[in-house]
Amino acid sequence: MRLILSALALATLIWQSSAAQPVKGVPSDSYTLEKTHAYLIFSVEHGGLSDYIVNFTDVDVDLDFNAQSPELSKVHAVINLTALNTNLPDPDQKVEWEKELLYDAKFFNAKEYAKIHFKSTSVERTGETTGIVTGELHFLGVKKSVQLDVEFNGSGKSRRFGDRTLIGFNARGSVKRSDFGMTALIPFIGDQVDIEFSGELVQVQ
Amino acid sequence: MLKHPFIAIAVIASTVGCGEMTNGQKPIVESKTAPEAGLNEMLKDVASATYSLDKNHAFLTFKVTHANGLSNYRMNFAKFDAKLDFNPNMPEASKIKVTIDPTSVVTNYDGNYKAGHPRSSFETWEEDISRNERWLNSDKFPEISFVSTSAERTGTSTGKVTGDLTLLGVSTPVTLDVTFNGATNFQWLGDRDILGFNAQTVFKRSEFGMGTFVPYIGDEVSVEFSGEFVQDE
Repeated sequence: MRLILSALALATLIWQSSAAQPVKGVPSDSYTLEKTHAYLIFSVEHGGLSDYIVNFTDVDVDLDFNAQSPELSKVHAVINLTALNTNLPDPDQKVEWEKELLYDAKFFNAKEYAKIHFKSTSVERTGETTGIVTGELHFLGVKKSVQLDVEFNGSGKSRRFGDRTLIGFNARGSVKRSDFGMTALIPFIGDQVDIEFSGELVQVQ
Repeated sequence: MLKHPFIAIAVIASTVGCGEMTNGQKPIVESKTAPEAGLNEMLKDVASATYSLDKNHAFLTFKVTHANGLSNYRMNFAKFDAKLDFNPNMPEASKIKVTIDPTSVVTNYDGNYKAGHPRSSFETWEEDISRNERWLNSDKFPEISFVSTSAERTGTSTGKVTGDLTLLGVSTPVTLDVTFNGATNFQWLGDRDILGFNAQTVFKRSEFGMGTFVPYIGDEVSVEFSGEFVQDE
């Protein structure tokens, strides 16, 4: 028992100290989304029977990354509602349905609200490579604080970007679309929207 | 046909509440103490029949890590089909066959593929992934399939489905973790029952001969499915 306790204490100590460590080998700088290696999906329940997935294909992310104190980093993500992808198999139906999803006032209402914004307000580290990013989600004219669980996947370089550093993240969160006034077809189409992101950001030259 | 008072109530309520919503939703019964009873309740009145995938409400995703784990790379198959012989009295005796069109891969690639790949003989990144010999090689192997060989129940609404995955001409057994999400009827489909499932598994692409860029691009392919099946007429 004592052994378990001291192991626990040690683990806690390591965890705490690592959580305070700077991120080695990563320059503090501005980073922008490397769009060929990134995805952003929204998922809602359909009829309680399946998960319906919408891909956003036009997304910008700008990150001020602070390697010394990652919790001082700031991120601004913009979903441009110019396009989305539902993977509906019939090409004609797909065009019609995606147009409806984008422009119908009961869904994304993109003529009036062409962008969804997420602007971070605070970052809290929860582990060596994990944290909670709190920010304001600006969606359908409503601003609301939401939290994303974020995982830092590491850094690297590639031939394509030369000396510029790449950093990778996963992020997840959930929002209630009714909080933003999108109540269409609740509860047949779920109120809870699960957000999932994975992507790489490249140092701005 | 599901015979449950909730359906009539839900249909009336939803029709009144919203002109476009005409579902009758069967509540999912969860019981930790009596899993058999819970599932039996869920499957009461569900037809023992052949069901086909509702292609408009079905998603199939493959994910691999990219750049030694910096990000997850995600692709969907827009065209795939499945036939399910569902046995509500003994769900583990059910059978499924899935076929996937490898040319229907969707990556949401954001960029100028031709500029970035000047020597490529393909027009798009998606064509590259589906037709390139080092990827899905669809000219030679025009179909990916999964045929179940056995199923096992692991909980009230969960199970493992083992079957043969055929990819790049190689057949290897894989096991899917499956969740049964419930059964319902939709007014526009009359008496035909609708079933919903999620499934996931992980396989190693190197076991099917696709070793390209391992480990820079991960060997493990994470498969996710969510979708609905409609009772055949």
